Amino acid sequence: MIQVKELKKNFGDLEVLKGINTTFERGKTNLIIGQSGSGKTVFMKCLVGLLEPDQGGVHYDNLNFTRMKGLERNIIRQKMGMLFQGSALFDSLNVEENVMFPLEMFNKDMSRKEKLERAHFCLDRVNILDANHLFPAEISGGMKKRVAIARAIANSPDYLFCDEPNSGLDPTTAIVIDQLISEITKEFQMTTVINTHDMNSVMEIGDHVVFLYKGNLCWEGSSEEILTTGNKQVEDFVYASELMRKLK
Amino acid sequence: MILFIKLFRESAMFAWTSIAANKLRTLLTLLGITIGIFAIISVFSVVDTLERQIRGSIASLGENVIYIQKWPWEFSADFAWWRYMNRPTPRISELDDVMRRTQVVEAAAFIASTSRTIEYLNRSMERIPVLSVSHDYDKVRNFEIERGRYFSPTESTAGRNVAILGYEVAQNLFQQTDPLGKNIKAFGRNIEVIGVFSKEGDDTFGNSHDESIVVPVTFISSFIDVNSDRYNPAILAKGKEYYSSEEVIDELRGAMRAIRRIKPTVDDNFALNQSSLLSKQFDGVFAVLKLAGWIIGGFSILVGGFGIANIMFVSVKERTSIIGIQKALGAKNYFILLQFLAEAVILSLLGGAIGLLMVFGVSWLATYAMDIDFMLTTKNILMGINISVIIGLVAGFIPAWTASRLNPVDAIRSNG
Ligand SMILES: Nc1ncnc2c1ncn2[C@@H]1O[C@H](COP(=O)(O)OP(=O)(O)OP(=O)(O)O)[C@@H](O)[C@H]1O
Ligand SMILES: [Mg+2]
Repeated sequence: MIQVKELKKNFGDLEVLKGINTTFERGKTNLIIGQSGSGKTVFMKCLVGLLEPDQGGVHYDNLNFTRMKGLERNIIRQKMGMLFQGSALFDSLNVEENVMFPLEMFNKDMSRKEKLERAHFCLDRVNILDANHLFPAEISGGMKKRVAIARAIANSPDYLFCDEPNSGLDPTTAIVIDQLISEITKEFQMTTVINTHDMNSVMEIGDHVVFLYKGNLCWEGSSEEILTTGNKQVEDFVYASELMRKLK
Repeated sequence: MILFIKLFRESAMFAWTSIAANKLRTLLTLLGITIGIFAIISVFSVVDTLERQIRGSIASLGENVIYIQKWPWEFSADFAWWRYMNRPTPRISELDDVMRRTQVVEAAAFIASTSRTIEYLNRSMERIPVLSVSHDYDKVRNFEIERGRYFSPTESTAGRNVAILGYEVAQNLFQQTDPLGKNIKAFGRNIEVIGVFSKEGDDTFGNSHDESIVVPVTFISSFIDVNSDRYNPAILAKGKEYYSSEEVIDELRGAMRAIRRIKPTVDDNFALNQSSLLSKQFDGVFAVLKLAGWIIGGFSILVGGFGIANIMFVSVKERTSIIGIQKALGAKNYFILLQFLAEAVILSLLGGAIGLLMVFGVSWLATYAMDIDFMLTTKNILMGINISVIIGLVAGFIPAWTASRLNPVDAIRSNG
């Protein structure tokens, strides 16, 4: 469980986050949506500690992460898996070595064989074990995404952060990847936070949806509720696409 | 430790990929290191080769042998040659006096040299050095006789017309036939060949017996004034074992001054030359050569070092996001640092290795095409490798440090 309390972040005069309060539950996929420039990226960076909030803080299972110093933070950071935009695999390492990378970095007391087994387990979970000796250049975008997911969960994280996980994927593959993230979230009981533009994702896997508007948390709720909310800003966002308007 | 090696392997792999991706640019930049290593190591190899030859030559001259001569071997800058002009030459008659007046001299020999045309039947060789030596020559100079024998005491005292031929002389005049017992012609006389020296090879100081002949001085002195300055007479004195050359020189100086009745206030009128001193003179030359190698090579290496630093900065910039992702996935600063240092060292080693290969090629050419025994020693190879590694570390440190200090926020270009 991740609790966000009165989170504020400014860049000079620009107030990007104006005091966000919310809670992301374990075993649920939490989606952050909002218009471009609403502060989604900044919010996620504050969550994982890549940016320091000006006020307020982030609590990981009741531990105040924002207040922690380097060493303590590292303990929490070891429990975070991150899925970067555009997969961000290491081109010079093959699929299985990519997945082993976080294990090499964090798990000093795991034997090489155990690391390999763990990597294979993760690759098997995302159905891509047979590609373990291929290099990133030799696999498709969807496969890369799977490898990136396997790498993100290699360290058995408690928290999973996904930065636009299905950008650059065709709609079908995007749904498959979304489903995969949702499944492993339930299976490994992780607290998953996803940054997205994609309304399909919201409808498919949005257990808990946070809508940011001009630096404020404007609305939150489940994917069912989002269609029927009376909130003007949310409706403008949700029905921005032709398709959704037709559905309505 | 095992983890470190694994990490290092991965660092090297990252490094290799980036090198392979920019082959031409990389090679051009490495030219500085290549030329630098080539300059330094080739100069060192040349110096080592020369040194080895000179050491060998000095050993053949005989250790601890002092040459009593008119002219000194070492000329200082303010050398007043006219003061030496009027000195007397060492005389054959002084040889016995030297032996009588010294305790630490084991053996001494008189030697005078000239050159003549040597004939055998219809074959002849011009300007062959003829060394006229007194009997104990074999005790002061190291040599081997391949065929025949050295002069007998009677031959030496009676001044018999006998000669020992240098290897090349024997080869040229006699070819397949056995020279022993045959008569060669020189000075308008017949001289009987009683021995042939073993092949000695080239000698830095031209002291090889290969292209000369040796005869008893008593034979030559019957028709030539061997004490004349023209024949460059010298008395060679070999010190006894366990006496330093300084002791031998001291005693010889005293003996010679007594023989020539030189008053205490008057300067020596003879020179005491020493083969090991000769090498000291060369040491100076070698030091200058090596310094020149360092300076030329040093500048190239400096340029090469900046080149590597440049490549590394570009490399860090190109891989900023990778560094960020590595960090986000748990990579520590030192891992990033090592990764880029490894890359810099690999680059530098690559440049150095090409330079060493070039030295190797040149030494091969010199050995096989020009018949110079030019050697690339393990010591010099190791030195080349060490220099390369150090340059890589130095040139790569600042870029690697910058990379390791990158803030993951700037490093990850995400826009989720
Ligand atoms: N490092 C920074 N320095 C200054 N301003 C920043 C910085 N990072 C973000 N901002 C500003 O904060 C605001 C929110 O940016 P953010 O990237 O969070 O938007 P976003 O919701 O992720 O948009 P998009 O959907 O287009 O990715 C923007 O106005 C941006 O210019
Ligand atoms: Mg963004």
